Amino acid sequence: MMPMLLLAVLLPYNTLVVAGGVAAVGCAAGVVGTLSVLRRRALVGDAAAHATLVGVAMALLVTGQRSLAVLLAGGLVSAIAALVLLVLIRRFTRTRDDAATAVVLSVSFGLGIVLISGMVARGVPGSAGLERFLLGHTAALTIGDATLLGIVSTLAVACVWLGLKEATMVAFDPAFAAAAGWPATAIDLTLVTLVAVMVVVGLPAAGAVLVTALVVIPPVAARQWTDRIVPMLIIAGGIGLVCGLAGVVISSLATRLSTGPVVVLVAAGCFVVSLVIAPRRGLLARWWDRPAAVPTADQQRLEQR
Amino acid sequence: MSEPSATVAPAATAWLEWHDLTVAYGRRPVLWNVDLTITEPCLFGIIGPNGAGKSTLLKATLGLVPIAGGSVLFWGRKLAEVRHRIGYVPQRETVDWDFPVSVMDVVLMGATSQLGWFRRGGRRERELARDCLERVGLADLAGRQIGRLSGGQQQRVFLARALAREADIYLLDEPMAGVDAGSQEQIFSILAGLRDAGKLVVAVHHDLQTASRWFDAVALVDMRLVAAGPTADVLTPENLNQTYAGRAGILDELGRAVARGKRTP
Repeated sequence: MMPMLLLAVLLPYNTLVVAGGVAAVGCAAGVVGTLSVLRRRALVGDAAAHATLVGVAMALLVTGQRSLAVLLAGGLVSAIAALVLLVLIRRFTRTRDDAATAVVLSVSFGLGIVLISGMVARGVPGSAGLERFLLGHTAALTIGDATLLGIVSTLAVACVWLGLKEATMVAFDPAFAAAAGWPATAIDLTLVTLVAVMVVVGLPAAGAVLVTALVVIPPVAARQWTDRIVPMLIIAGGIGLVCGLAGVVISSLATRLSTGPVVVLVAAGCFVVSLVIAPRRGLLARWWDRPAAVPTADQQRLEQR
Repeated sequence: MSEPSATVAPAATAWLEWHDLTVAYGRRPVLWNVDLTITEPCLFGIIGPNGAGKSTLLKATLGLVPIAGGSVLFWGRKLAEVRHRIGYVPQRETVDWDFPVSVMDVVLMGATSQLGWFRRGGRRERELARDCLERVGLADLAGRQIGRLSGGQQQRVFLARALAREADIYLLDEPMAGVDAGSQEQIFSILAGLRDAGKLVVAVHHDLQTASRWFDAVALVDMRLVAAGPTADVLTPENLNQTYAGRAGILDELGRAVARGKRTP
Protein backbone atom coordinates (compact mmCIF):
# COMPACT_ATOMS: atom_id res chain seq x y z
CA MET A 1 0.00 0.00 0.00
CA MET A 2 2.80 2.43 0.89
CA PRO A 3 4.53 2.37 -2.50
CA MET A 4 1.16 2.95 -4.08
CA LEU A 5 0.48 5.96 -1.91
CA LEU A 6 3.92 7.31 -2.78
CA LEU A 7 3.18 6.87 -6.45
CA ALA A 8 -0.09 8.67 -5.97
CA VAL A 9 1.70 11.67 -4.50
CA LEU A 10 4.00 11.84 -7.51
CA LEU A 11 1.10 11.93 -9.96
CA PRO A 12 -0.15 15.10 -11.64
CA TYR A 13 -2.98 17.05 -9.98
CA ASN A 14 -5.62 15.81 -12.41
CA THR A 15 -4.76 12.20 -11.75
CA LEU A 16 -4.77 12.88 -8.01
CA VAL A 17 -8.35 14.17 -8.09
CA VAL A 18 -9.41 11.21 -10.21
CA ALA A 19 -7.63 8.91 -7.77
CA GLY A 20 -9.55 10.47 -4.89
CA GLY A 21 -12.90 10.01 -6.65
CA VAL A 22 -12.27 6.43 -7.64
CA ALA A 23 -10.88 5.58 -4.19
CA ALA A 24 -14.09 6.96 -2.70
CA VAL A 25 -16.06 4.73 -5.06
CA GLY A 26 -14.06 1.68 -3.96
CA CYS A 27 -14.58 2.58 -0.31
CA ALA A 28 -18.33 3.11 -0.66
CA ALA A 29 -18.70 -0.06 -2.74
CA GLY A 30 -17.06 -2.01 0.10
CA VAL A 31 -19.37 -0.43 2.69
CA VAL A 32 -22.60 -0.90 0.73
CA GLY A 33 -21.42 -4.34 -0.39
CA THR A 34 -20.96 -5.43 3.22
CA LEU A 35 -24.67 -5.08 3.90
CA SER A 36 -25.58 -6.74 0.62
CA VAL A 37 -23.25 -9.69 1.25
CA LEU A 38 -24.63 -10.06 4.78
CA ARG A 39 -28.15 -10.03 3.34
CA ARG A 40 -27.00 -12.77 0.93
CA ARG A 41 -27.65 -10.62 -2.11
CA ALA A 42 -24.14 -10.86 -3.59
CA LEU A 43 -25.34 -11.90 -7.05
CA VAL A 44 -28.01 -9.24 -7.37
CA GLY A 45 -25.34 -6.58 -7.85
CA ASP A 46 -23.86 -8.60 -10.68
CA ALA A 47 -27.16 -8.68 -12.55
CA ALA A 48 -27.53 -4.93 -12.07
CA ALA A 49 -23.95 -4.35 -13.26
CA HIS A 50 -24.37 -6.31 -16.47
CA ALA A 51 -27.58 -4.44 -17.20
CA THR A 52 -25.94 -1.01 -17.00
CA LEU A 53 -24.57 -1.16 -20.56
CA VAL A 54 -28.05 -0.98 -22.08
CA GLY A 55 -28.77 2.24 -20.22
CA VAL A 56 -25.36 3.75 -20.99
CA ALA A 57 -25.89 3.14 -24.71
CA MET A 58 -29.49 4.34 -24.64
CA ALA A 59 -28.54 7.49 -22.77
CA LEU A 60 -26.11 8.41 -25.54
CA LEU A 61 -28.63 7.58 -28.27
CA VAL A 62 -31.45 9.53 -26.68
CA THR A 63 -29.62 12.62 -25.43
CA GLY A 64 -26.73 12.71 -27.85
CA GLN A 65 -24.55 13.76 -24.93
CA ARG A 66 -21.37 12.06 -23.92
CA SER A 67 -20.98 13.40 -20.38
CA LEU A 68 -20.29 10.80 -17.71
CA ALA A 69 -23.20 11.97 -15.57
CA VAL A 70 -25.69 11.39 -18.39
CA LEU A 71 -24.28 7.97 -19.29
CA LEU A 72 -24.24 6.83 -15.66
CA ALA A 73 -27.80 8.08 -15.12
CA GLY A 74 -28.82 5.91 -18.08
CA GLY A 75 -26.90 3.00 -16.60
CA LEU A 76 -28.71 3.43 -13.29
CA VAL A 77 -32.09 3.38 -15.00
CA SER A 78 -31.39 0.11 -16.80
CA ALA A 79 -29.78 -1.44 -13.71
CA ILE A 80 -32.89 -0.70 -11.68
CA ALA A 81 -35.10 -1.91 -14.53
CA ALA A 82 -33.23 -5.22 -14.43
CA LEU A 83 -33.77 -5.47 -10.67
CA VAL A 84 -37.47 -4.77 -11.05
CA LEU A 85 -37.60 -7.48 -13.72
CA LEU A 86 -35.92 -9.87 -11.29
CA VAL A 87 -38.47 -9.10 -8.59
CA LEU A 88 -41.33 -9.60 -11.06
CA ILE A 89 -39.98 -12.92 -12.31
CA ARG A 90 -39.59 -14.08 -8.72
CA ARG A 91 -43.09 -12.97 -7.85
CA PHE A 92 -45.09 -14.18 -10.83
CA THR A 93 -43.26 -17.21 -12.18
CA ARG A 94 -41.91 -20.37 -10.68
CA THR A 95 -38.37 -19.73 -11.92
CA ARG A 96 -35.77 -20.22 -9.22
CA ASP A 97 -33.87 -17.21 -7.90
CA ASP A 98 -30.46 -18.16 -9.24
CA ALA A 99 -31.86 -19.09 -12.64
CA ALA A 100 -33.79 -15.82 -12.85
CA THR A 101 -30.65 -13.86 -11.95
CA ALA A 102 -28.64 -15.67 -14.62
CA VAL A 103 -31.31 -15.04 -17.26
CA VAL A 104 -31.65 -11.33 -16.52
CA LEU A 105 -27.89 -10.91 -16.30
CA SER A 106 -27.02 -12.58 -19.59
CA VAL A 107 -29.92 -11.20 -21.61
CA SER A 108 -29.43 -7.60 -20.51
CA PHE A 109 -25.69 -7.90 -21.05
CA GLY A 110 -26.19 -9.31 -24.52
CA LEU A 111 -28.54 -6.48 -25.37
CA GLY A 112 -26.05 -3.92 -24.08
CA ILE A 113 -23.23 -5.38 -26.17
CA VAL A 114 -25.39 -5.42 -29.30
CA LEU A 115 -26.34 -1.78 -28.76
CA ILE A 116 -22.81 -0.58 -28.05
CA SER A 117 -21.09 -2.50 -30.84
CA GLY A 118 -23.79 -1.47 -33.29
CA MET A 119 -23.37 2.18 -32.34
CA VAL A 120 -19.60 2.02 -32.56
CA ALA A 121 -19.74 0.24 -35.94
CA ARG A 122 -22.12 2.81 -37.37
CA GLY A 123 -20.04 5.63 -36.00
CA VAL A 124 -22.80 7.17 -33.91
CA PRO A 125 -21.34 10.47 -32.68
CA GLY A 126 -19.76 10.10 -29.27
CA SER A 127 -19.91 6.33 -29.31
CA ALA A 128 -16.17 5.88 -29.80
CA GLY A 129 -14.70 4.34 -26.66
CA LEU A 130 -18.06 3.33 -25.27
CA GLU A 131 -16.76 -0.23 -25.02
CA ARG A 132 -14.51 0.96 -22.22
CA PHE A 133 -17.52 0.64 -19.93
CA LEU A 134 -17.05 -3.11 -20.31
CA LEU A 135 -13.83 -3.39 -18.38
CA GLY A 136 -13.30 0.04 -16.89
CA HIS A 137 -10.96 2.83 -17.84
CA THR A 138 -10.18 5.72 -15.53
CA ALA A 139 -7.53 7.54 -17.57
CA ALA A 140 -10.14 9.61 -19.42
CA LEU A 141 -11.95 10.81 -16.29
CA THR A 142 -12.09 14.57 -15.78
CA ILE A 143 -11.94 16.40 -12.48
CA GLY A 144 -15.69 16.98 -12.79
CA ASP A 145 -16.32 13.27 -13.32
CA ALA A 146 -14.24 12.36 -10.30
CA THR A 147 -16.06 14.92 -8.16
CA LEU A 148 -19.39 13.41 -9.19
CA LEU A 149 -18.18 9.92 -8.29
CA GLY A 150 -16.87 11.17 -4.95
CA ILE A 151 -20.12 12.92 -4.04
CA VAL A 152 -22.32 9.95 -4.92
CA SER A 153 -20.03 7.64 -2.96
CA THR A 154 -20.09 9.87 0.08
CA LEU A 155 -23.88 9.98 -0.03
CA ALA A 156 -24.05 6.19 -0.29
CA VAL A 157 -21.87 5.78 2.80
CA ALA A 158 -24.01 8.34 4.63
CA CYS A 159 -27.14 6.33 3.75
CA VAL A 160 -25.60 3.16 5.16
CA TRP A 161 -24.61 4.94 8.34
CA LEU A 162 -28.06 6.46 8.73
CA GLY A 163 -29.96 3.22 8.23
CA LEU A 164 -27.49 0.86 9.85
CA LYS A 165 -29.87 -0.26 12.60
CA GLU A 166 -32.67 -1.04 10.18
CA ALA A 167 -30.42 -2.70 7.61
CA THR A 168 -28.71 -4.88 10.21
CA MET A 169 -31.98 -5.98 11.75
CA VAL A 170 -33.43 -6.99 8.37
CA ALA A 171 -30.22 -8.60 7.14
CA PHE A 172 -29.90 -10.71 10.27
CA ASP A 173 -33.51 -11.74 10.75
CA PRO A 174 -36.10 -10.37 8.30
CA ALA A 175 -38.94 -12.28 9.99
CA PHE A 176 -38.23 -10.72 13.38
CA ALA A 177 -37.95 -7.26 11.84
CA ALA A 178 -41.20 -7.68 9.92
CA ALA A 179 -43.00 -9.02 12.99
CA ALA A 180 -41.84 -5.93 14.88
CA GLY A 181 -43.49 -3.78 12.24
CA TRP A 182 -40.46 -2.78 10.15
CA PRO A 183 -41.06 -2.73 6.38
CA ALA A 184 -38.51 -5.42 5.61
CA THR A 185 -39.23 -5.47 1.88
CA ALA A 186 -38.86 -1.70 1.52
CA ILE A 187 -35.60 -1.79 3.48
CA ASP A 188 -34.39 -4.60 1.21
CA LEU A 189 -35.30 -2.61 -1.88
CA THR A 190 -33.47 0.45 -0.58
CA LEU A 191 -30.38 -1.65 -0.05
CA VAL A 192 -30.61 -3.18 -3.51
CA THR A 193 -31.01 0.30 -5.01
CA LEU A 194 -27.91 1.47 -3.16
CA VAL A 195 -26.04 -1.52 -4.59
CA ALA A 196 -27.24 -0.54 -8.07
CA VAL A 197 -25.98 3.02 -7.50
CA MET A 198 -22.57 1.77 -6.39
CA VAL A 199 -22.33 -0.60 -9.33
CA VAL A 200 -23.06 2.30 -11.67
CA VAL A 201 -20.53 4.71 -10.20
CA GLY A 202 -18.08 1.81 -10.13
CA LEU A 203 -18.33 1.43 -13.90
CA PRO A 204 -15.40 3.75 -14.77
CA ALA A 205 -13.19 1.95 -12.26
CA ALA A 206 -14.01 -1.67 -12.99
CA GLY A 207 -16.46 -1.90 -15.89
CA ALA A 208 -19.78 -3.72 -16.13
CA VAL A 209 -18.20 -7.15 -16.21
CA LEU A 210 -16.05 -6.84 -13.12
CA VAL A 211 -17.56 -4.12 -10.95
CA THR A 212 -19.45 -6.65 -8.87
CA ALA A 213 -16.07 -7.70 -7.47
CA LEU A 214 -15.82 -4.27 -5.80
CA VAL A 215 -19.10 -4.89 -4.02
CA VAL A 216 -18.44 -8.49 -3.02
CA ILE A 217 -14.74 -9.18 -2.48
CA PRO A 218 -13.85 -6.46 0.08
CA PRO A 219 -16.73 -7.47 2.42
CA VAL A 220 -15.84 -11.15 2.20
CA ALA A 221 -12.19 -10.36 2.93
CA ALA A 222 -13.18 -8.03 5.77
CA ARG A 223 -15.37 -10.68 7.40
CA GLN A 224 -12.18 -12.70 8.02
CA TRP A 225 -10.77 -10.08 10.33
CA THR A 226 -13.69 -9.28 12.61
CA ASP A 227 -16.82 -10.62 14.24
CA ARG A 228 -18.58 -7.27 14.45
CA ILE A 229 -20.46 -5.39 11.80
CA VAL A 230 -19.04 -1.86 12.21
CA PRO A 231 -15.39 -2.97 12.03
CA MET A 232 -16.37 -5.09 9.03
CA LEU A 233 -17.81 -2.02 7.29
CA ILE A 234 -14.63 -0.05 7.99
CA ILE A 235 -12.26 -2.79 6.86
CA ALA A 236 -14.29 -3.48 3.71
CA GLY A 237 -14.27 0.24 2.95
CA GLY A 238 -10.51 0.33 3.42
CA ILE A 239 -9.89 -2.61 1.13
CA GLY A 240 -12.19 -1.10 -1.49
CA LEU A 241 -10.30 2.18 -1.24
CA VAL A 242 -6.98 0.47 -1.89
CA CYS A 243 -8.46 -1.36 -4.88
CA GLY A 244 -9.80 1.85 -6.41
CA LEU A 245 -6.50 3.62 -5.88
CA ALA A 246 -4.58 0.76 -7.47
CA GLY A 247 -6.82 0.91 -10.52
CA VAL A 248 -6.19 4.61 -11.08
CA VAL A 249 -2.46 4.40 -10.55
CA ILE A 250 -2.04 1.50 -12.97
CA SER A 251 -4.31 3.19 -15.48
CA SER A 252 -2.33 6.41 -15.36
CA LEU A 253 0.93 4.55 -15.93
CA ALA A 254 -0.36 2.39 -18.77
CA THR A 255 -3.14 4.37 -20.42
CA ARG A 256 -4.20 1.61 -22.78
CA LEU A 257 -4.80 -0.85 -19.97
CA SER A 258 -8.32 -1.51 -18.66
CA THR A 259 -8.57 -0.79 -14.95
CA GLY A 260 -11.18 -3.44 -14.08
CA PRO A 261 -8.88 -6.44 -14.16
CA VAL A 262 -6.28 -4.57 -12.07
CA VAL A 263 -8.87 -3.58 -9.49
CA VAL A 264 -10.16 -7.13 -9.27
CA LEU A 265 -6.69 -8.62 -8.97
CA VAL A 266 -5.81 -6.27 -6.11
CA ALA A 267 -9.10 -7.17 -4.42
CA ALA A 268 -8.41 -10.85 -4.95
CA GLY A 269 -4.97 -10.38 -3.39
CA CYS A 270 -6.51 -8.83 -0.27
CA PHE A 271 -9.02 -11.67 -0.20
CA VAL A 272 -6.44 -14.44 -0.40
CA VAL A 273 -4.21 -12.82 2.22
CA SER A 274 -7.22 -12.43 4.54
CA LEU A 275 -8.30 -15.99 3.94
CA VAL A 276 -4.90 -17.29 4.94
CA ILE A 277 -3.55 -15.10 7.71
CA ALA A 278 -6.60 -13.61 9.43
CA PRO A 279 -6.63 -14.36 13.16
CA ARG A 280 -9.10 -17.02 14.28
CA ARG A 281 -10.99 -17.40 10.97
CA GLY A 282 -7.92 -17.62 8.73
CA LEU A 283 -6.73 -20.96 7.35
CA LEU A 284 -3.48 -20.73 9.29
CA ALA A 285 -5.18 -19.89 12.58
CA ARG A 286 -7.72 -22.65 12.16
CA TRP A 287 -5.02 -25.12 11.29
CA TRP A 288 -3.03 -23.99 14.32
CA ASP A 289 -5.74 -24.57 16.92
CA ARG A 290 -7.76 -27.34 15.37
CA PRO A 291 -8.82 -29.06 18.58
CA ALA A 292 -10.10 -25.89 20.26
CA ALA A 293 -11.93 -24.62 17.19
CA VAL A 294 -15.35 -24.93 18.82
CA PRO A 295 -15.14 -24.63 22.62
CA THR A 296 -17.69 -26.66 24.55
CA ALA A 297 -20.10 -24.99 26.93
CA ASP A 298 -17.89 -25.95 29.89
CA GLN A 299 -14.81 -24.48 28.27
CA GLN A 300 -16.72 -21.31 27.55
CA ARG A 301 -17.69 -20.95 31.17
CA LEU A 302 -14.08 -21.48 32.28
CA GLU A 303 -12.90 -18.97 29.72
CA GLN A 304 -15.20 -16.36 31.16
CA ARG A 305 -13.69 -16.53 34.64
CA MET B 1 -41.96 0.72 29.62
CA SER B 2 -45.15 -1.01 28.58
CA GLU B 3 -48.28 0.06 30.37
CA PRO B 4 -50.05 -2.37 32.70
CA SER B 5 -52.16 -4.58 30.47
CA ALA B 6 -55.27 -4.52 32.66
CA THR B 7 -55.94 -0.89 31.82
CA VAL B 8 -55.69 -1.58 28.10
CA ALA B 9 -57.62 -4.84 27.91
CA PRO B 10 -61.01 -4.81 29.57
CA ALA B 11 -61.74 -8.07 31.37
CA ALA B 12 -64.29 -9.08 28.76
CA THR B 13 -61.86 -8.96 25.82
CA ALA B 14 -59.94 -12.11 24.98
CA TRP B 15 -56.17 -11.70 24.77
CA LEU B 16 -55.81 -13.47 21.48
CA GLU B 17 -58.46 -14.85 19.15
CA TRP B 18 -58.43 -16.45 15.73
CA HIS B 19 -61.68 -16.40 13.75
CA ASP B 20 -62.00 -18.93 10.93
CA LEU B 21 -58.37 -18.44 10.01
CA THR B 22 -57.44 -20.03 6.70
CA VAL B 23 -53.96 -19.87 5.21
CA ALA B 24 -52.81 -21.18 1.84
CA TYR B 25 -49.43 -21.29 0.14
CA GLY B 26 -50.35 -20.74 -3.47
CA ARG B 27 -53.33 -23.01 -4.03
CA ARG B 28 -52.35 -25.49 -1.32
CA PRO B 29 -54.22 -24.79 1.92
CA VAL B 30 -52.11 -25.24 5.04
CA LEU B 31 -54.60 -24.24 7.71
CA TRP B 32 -58.35 -24.53 7.59
CA ASN B 33 -60.84 -22.50 9.61
CA VAL B 34 -58.94 -22.23 12.85
CA ASP B 35 -61.26 -20.85 15.49
CA LEU B 36 -59.50 -20.39 18.79
CA THR B 37 -59.65 -17.99 21.71
CA ILE B 38 -57.17 -17.43 24.51
CA THR B 39 -59.01 -15.46 27.14
CA GLU B 40 -56.28 -14.69 29.64
CA PRO B 41 -52.52 -14.79 30.20
CA CYS B 42 -51.19 -18.33 30.37
CA LEU B 43 -48.53 -20.64 29.01
CA PHE B 44 -50.17 -21.90 25.83
CA GLY B 45 -48.82 -24.67 23.61
CA ILE B 46 -49.57 -25.26 19.95
CA ILE B 47 -48.98 -28.95 19.38
CA GLY B 48 -49.13 -31.11 16.30
CA PRO B 49 -47.13 -33.28 13.91
CA ASN B 50 -44.61 -32.00 11.37
CA GLY B 51 -46.23 -30.14 8.53
CA ALA B 52 -49.39 -29.56 10.55
CA GLY B 53 -49.18 -25.80 10.01
CA LYS B 54 -48.13 -24.84 13.54
CA SER B 55 -45.45 -22.38 12.43
CA THR B 56 -47.73 -21.12 9.70
CA LEU B 57 -50.32 -20.34 12.36
CA LEU B 58 -47.79 -18.17 14.21
CA LYS B 59 -46.59 -16.48 11.01
CA ALA B 60 -50.13 -15.74 9.91
CA THR B 61 -50.85 -14.35 13.37
CA LEU B 62 -47.91 -11.97 12.94
CA GLY B 63 -48.83 -11.03 9.38
CA LEU B 64 -45.70 -12.71 7.98
CA VAL B 65 -47.69 -14.88 5.58
CA PRO B 66 -50.87 -13.70 3.88
CA ILE B 67 -54.18 -14.81 5.35
CA ALA B 68 -56.62 -16.35 2.86
CA GLY B 69 -59.60 -15.91 5.14
CA GLY B 70 -60.64 -15.11 8.69
CA SER B 71 -59.02 -12.77 11.16
CA VAL B 72 -56.71 -12.48 14.17
CA LEU B 73 -57.42 -10.12 17.04
CA PHE B 74 -55.23 -9.11 19.97
CA TRP B 75 -57.28 -7.70 22.85
CA GLY B 76 -59.99 -7.25 20.25
CA ARG B 77 -57.74 -5.13 18.05
CA LYS B 78 -55.85 -5.52 14.81
CA LEU B 79 -52.18 -6.44 14.78
CA ALA B 80 -51.04 -3.06 13.42
CA GLU B 81 -52.35 -1.27 16.52
CA VAL B 82 -50.63 -3.54 19.03
CA ARG B 83 -47.38 -4.63 17.37
CA HIS B 84 -45.28 -2.90 19.99
CA ARG B 85 -46.81 -5.17 22.64
CA ILE B 86 -45.84 -8.39 20.86
CA GLY B 87 -42.56 -10.30 20.96
CA TYR B 88 -41.71 -12.94 18.38
CA VAL B 89 -39.13 -15.70 18.65
CA PRO B 90 -38.62 -17.25 15.19
CA GLN B 91 -37.17 -20.70 14.63
CA ARG B 92 -33.48 -20.76 15.36
CA GLU B 93 -32.49 -22.25 11.96
CA THR B 94 -33.96 -19.32 10.07
CA VAL B 95 -30.94 -17.06 10.62
CA ASP B 96 -27.27 -17.22 9.72
CA TRP B 97 -25.45 -17.72 13.01
CA ASP B 98 -22.17 -16.74 11.37
CA PHE B 99 -23.54 -13.19 11.12
CA PRO B 100 -21.00 -10.70 12.55
CA VAL B 101 -22.90 -9.64 15.66
CA SER B 102 -22.37 -10.30 19.34
CA VAL B 103 -24.90 -11.69 21.79
CA MET B 104 -25.39 -8.16 23.12
CA ASP B 105 -25.96 -6.79 19.58
CA VAL B 106 -28.77 -9.26 18.94
CA VAL B 107 -30.55 -8.48 22.21
CA LEU B 108 -30.14 -4.76 21.52
CA MET B 109 -32.02 -5.33 18.25
CA GLY B 110 -35.01 -6.27 20.39
CA ALA B 111 -34.75 -3.07 22.42
CA THR B 112 -34.12 -0.76 19.47
CA SER B 113 -36.83 -2.40 17.36
CA GLN B 114 -39.23 -0.44 19.56
CA LEU B 115 -37.62 2.91 18.69
CA GLY B 116 -38.38 5.05 15.66
CA TRP B 117 -36.55 5.20 12.36
CA PHE B 118 -32.78 5.77 12.58
CA ARG B 119 -32.78 5.85 16.38
CA ARG B 120 -30.03 3.58 17.69
CA GLY B 121 -30.89 3.67 21.36
CA GLY B 122 -28.76 4.77 24.25
CA ARG B 123 -28.09 3.85 27.82
CA ARG B 124 -31.67 2.82 28.56
CA GLU B 125 -31.66 0.29 25.72
CA ARG B 126 -28.24 -1.07 26.69
CA GLU B 127 -29.31 -1.51 30.31
CA LEU B 128 -32.54 -3.16 29.20
CA ALA B 129 -30.63 -5.55 26.95
CA ARG B 130 -28.19 -6.41 29.72
CA ASP B 131 -31.09 -7.01 32.07
CA CYS B 132 -32.71 -9.39 29.57
CA LEU B 133 -29.41 -11.24 29.17
CA GLU B 134 -29.27 -11.66 32.96
CA ARG B 135 -32.75 -13.13 32.93
CA VAL B 136 -31.79 -15.81 30.42
CA GLY B 137 -28.47 -16.42 32.17
CA LEU B 138 -26.18 -15.22 29.40
CA ALA B 139 -24.84 -11.98 30.87
CA ASP B 140 -21.26 -13.23 30.90
CA LEU B 141 -21.38 -14.12 27.20
CA ALA B 142 -22.57 -10.66 26.08
CA GLY B 143 -19.52 -9.95 23.92
CA ARG B 144 -19.36 -13.32 22.20
CA GLN B 145 -20.07 -13.80 18.50
CA ILE B 146 -23.39 -15.63 18.26
CA GLY B 147 -22.04 -18.52 16.21
CA ARG B 148 -19.84 -19.61 19.09
CA LEU B 149 -22.76 -20.57 21.32
CA SER B 150 -24.48 -23.88 21.95
CA GLY B 151 -27.97 -24.48 20.55
CA GLY B 152 -29.56 -23.84 23.92
CA GLN B 153 -27.60 -20.61 24.36
CA GLN B 154 -28.60 -19.42 20.89
CA GLN B 155 -32.23 -20.08 21.69
CA ARG B 156 -31.89 -18.08 24.90
CA VAL B 157 -30.35 -15.18 22.94
CA PHE B 158 -33.45 -15.21 20.74
CA LEU B 159 -35.65 -15.28 23.83
CA ALA B 160 -33.72 -12.36 25.35
CA ARG B 161 -34.18 -10.36 22.14
CA ALA B 162 -37.96 -10.84 22.42
CA LEU B 163 -37.87 -9.99 26.14
CA ALA B 164 -36.13 -6.72 25.27
CA ARG B 165 -39.28 -5.69 23.43
CA GLU B 166 -41.00 -5.63 26.83
CA ALA B 167 -44.05 -7.16 25.24
CA ASP B 168 -47.27 -8.50 26.73
CA ILE B 169 -47.76 -11.37 24.30
CA TYR B 170 -44.86 -13.63 23.31
CA LEU B 171 -45.10 -15.92 20.30
CA LEU B 172 -42.39 -18.58 20.09
CA ASP B 173 -41.77 -20.93 17.17
CA GLU B 174 -40.29 -24.24 18.32
CA PRO B 175 -38.22 -22.72 21.15
CA MET B 176 -37.06 -26.18 22.24
CA ALA B 177 -35.82 -27.45 18.87
CA GLY B 178 -32.22 -28.62 19.11
CA VAL B 179 -32.01 -27.54 22.75
CA ASP B 180 -30.53 -29.80 25.44
CA ALA B 181 -32.67 -30.89 28.39
CA GLY B 182 -31.01 -28.48 30.82
CA SER B 183 -31.63 -25.45 28.62
CA GLN B 184 -35.20 -26.63 28.01
CA GLU B 185 -35.92 -26.55 31.73
CA GLN B 186 -34.33 -23.13 31.95
CA ILE B 187 -36.31 -21.76 29.00
CA PHE B 188 -39.58 -23.24 30.25
CA SER B 189 -39.10 -21.67 33.67
CA ILE B 190 -38.42 -18.26 32.09
CA LEU B 191 -41.64 -18.67 30.10
CA ALA B 192 -43.52 -19.70 33.24
CA GLY B 193 -42.08 -16.61 34.92
CA LEU B 194 -43.50 -14.44 32.14
CA ARG B 195 -46.89 -16.07 32.62
CA ASP B 196 -46.69 -15.39 36.36
CA ALA B 197 -45.91 -11.76 35.55
CA GLY B 198 -49.21 -11.55 33.67
CA LYS B 199 -47.97 -12.12 30.11
CA LEU B 200 -49.40 -14.45 27.52
CA VAL B 201 -46.88 -16.94 26.12
CA VAL B 202 -47.81 -18.98 23.04
CA ALA B 203 -45.26 -21.57 21.94
CA VAL B 204 -45.23 -24.01 19.05
CA HIS B 205 -44.00 -27.27 20.51
CA HIS B 206 -43.71 -30.88 19.41
CA ASP B 207 -42.74 -32.88 22.50
CA LEU B 208 -45.84 -34.24 24.24
CA GLN B 209 -44.08 -35.12 27.49
CA THR B 210 -42.76 -31.65 28.26
CA ALA B 211 -45.98 -30.20 26.90
CA SER B 212 -48.15 -31.89 29.48
CA ARG B 213 -45.75 -30.81 32.21
CA TRP B 214 -45.42 -27.12 31.40
CA PHE B 215 -48.34 -25.81 29.39
CA ASP B 216 -51.50 -24.55 31.13
CA ALA B 217 -53.49 -25.00 27.96
CA VAL B 218 -52.80 -26.39 24.51
CA ALA B 219 -54.25 -26.51 21.04
CA LEU B 220 -53.83 -29.66 18.95
CA VAL B 221 -53.37 -28.70 15.32
CA ASP B 222 -53.22 -30.79 12.18
CA MET B 223 -54.08 -28.43 9.33
CA ARG B 224 -57.19 -27.67 11.30
CA LEU B 225 -57.88 -27.28 14.99
CA VAL B 226 -58.37 -30.75 16.50
CA ALA B 227 -58.93 -29.70 20.10
CA ALA B 228 -58.08 -26.87 22.48
CA GLY B 229 -58.36 -26.27 26.20
CA PRO B 230 -56.64 -27.09 29.49
CA THR B 231 -53.69 -29.40 28.81
CA ALA B 232 -54.98 -32.43 30.74
CA ASP B 233 -58.36 -32.26 28.99
CA VAL B 234 -56.90 -31.95 25.53
CA LEU B 235 -54.05 -34.46 25.53
CA THR B 236 -56.37 -37.46 25.59
CA PRO B 237 -55.71 -40.67 23.64
CA GLU B 238 -58.64 -39.93 21.32
CA ASN B 239 -57.46 -36.42 20.48
CA LEU B 240 -53.85 -37.47 20.03
CA ASN B 241 -54.87 -40.38 17.88
CA GLN B 242 -56.92 -38.03 15.74
CA THR B 243 -54.06 -35.56 15.43
CA TYR B 244 -51.29 -38.02 14.80
CA ALA B 245 -53.44 -40.60 13.00
CA GLY B 246 -51.42 -42.95 10.88
CA ARG B 247 -48.06 -41.49 11.86
CA ALA B 248 -45.55 -44.16 12.83
CA GLY B 249 -43.51 -43.94 16.02
CA ILE B 250 -45.98 -41.77 17.82
CA LEU B 251 -47.74 -44.52 19.77
CA ASP B 252 -44.92 -44.90 22.26
CA GLU B 253 -44.79 -41.17 22.94
CA LEU B 254 -48.56 -41.05 23.13
CA GLY B 255 -48.66 -43.77 25.79
CA ARG B 256 -46.16 -41.95 27.97
CA ALA B 257 -47.96 -38.62 27.61
CA VAL B 258 -51.27 -40.16 28.57
CA ALA B 259 -49.74 -41.85 31.61
CA ARG B 260 -48.28 -38.52 32.68
CA GLY B 261 -51.59 -36.77 32.05
CA LYS B 262 -53.35 -39.16 34.43
CA ARG B 263 -50.92 -38.36 37.22
CA THR B 264 -51.52 -34.62 36.97
CA PRO B 265 -54.50 -33.58 39.06
